[in-house]
Amino acid sequence: MLDIQNLHASVEGKEILKGLNLHVNEGEIHAIMGPNGSGKSTLSKVLAGHPSYNVTSGTADLEVNLRPRNLLEMAPEERARNGIFLAYQYPVEIPGVPNKVFLRAAFNSICKFQGAKEVNEDEFELILKEKCKLLELPTGDDDRFVNREVNVSLSGGEKKRNEILQMAILNPRLAFLDETDSGLDVDSLKIVAEGINRLRNKHNAIVLVTHYQRLLDYIIPDFVHVLYQGKIIRTGDRNLAKDIESRGYDWLIKELQ
Amino acid sequence: MVPENNSAIVEHEATTSKISADQIFYLKSRGIDDEGAISLLLHGFCKDVFKTLPLEFSIEAVKLLEMKLEGSVG
Repeated sequence: MLDIQNLHASVEGKEILKGLNLHVNEGEIHAIMGPNGSGKSTLSKVLAGHPSYNVTSGTADLEVNLRPRNLLEMAPEERARNGIFLAYQYPVEIPGVPNKVFLRAAFNSICKFQGAKEVNEDEFELILKEKCKLLELPTGDDDRFVNREVNVSLSGGEKKRNEILQMAILNPRLAFLDETDSGLDVDSLKIVAEGINRLRNKHNAIVLVTHYQRLLDYIIPDFVHVLYQGKIIRTGDRNLAKDIESRGYDWLIKELQ
Repeated sequence: MVPENNSAIVEHEATTSKISADQIFYLKSRGIDDEGAISLLLHGFCKDVFKTLPLEFSIEAVKLLEMKLEGSVG
């Protein structure tokens, strides 16, 4: 589904990704771990098409209707419409815009692209209720999560849950979750992880970018990659994450030298 | 008060709001195009101001805002 070859990318002239390779098939869950500053967030931003990140060489192809398409040539909204989703580490606040207005605009833009009928407020209300239930978000009429301004009056944990709500509504084929677990207490982490597990199916894929093995106790990855200095230096199964939890990254870095 | 670029700062005596590149990108990464993104952000900003207008002006103001945006971006 996604094939990244020898990807190099820079921010403000500084090279962060230095020859990254990653292959993701449908139905798979990948975890990307790595010390601070290894390029984890850069990878997510590059794949979502953030304008501050420049790809200097390499390729990233996304399979669309069974054919590989150059992801790097697509505008950010085009990537989203073709099934790419990024759950932000720091979700952006949009003052004055109610969450459900934003969510419906996003949902309809994707419906329109896929040739499906756009939904009105009442129809969307039903979709929203169902997805909120799935993520154990409040669906009552007063002080509803979805009536608040986008990310403005939400706590850190609620912002992360709002990202997963967007994922539930947009139903992406390939979701990058950038440190979705950070800032969540144990109970919220469980709820979010269960929500993510419910969104899994054999046609979509999820890439978890995380610092902690804790999340991987709830969402079992097929592959664990270690990113270091802009490259994946080791790929393994979930036991690799456990080794990192107990031994850190030093032993992996030493093996490189 | 229509910002001509993504980094413009729109101000009103009672409110300060910044339409930033990050906000535009956030909306675009959810499948919303440039025009839709700017329209959402502007509506959000203007909502508070329009609330203080009498109803007939309020309706007209929203319509004017939409007209101005049509074809002005992209």
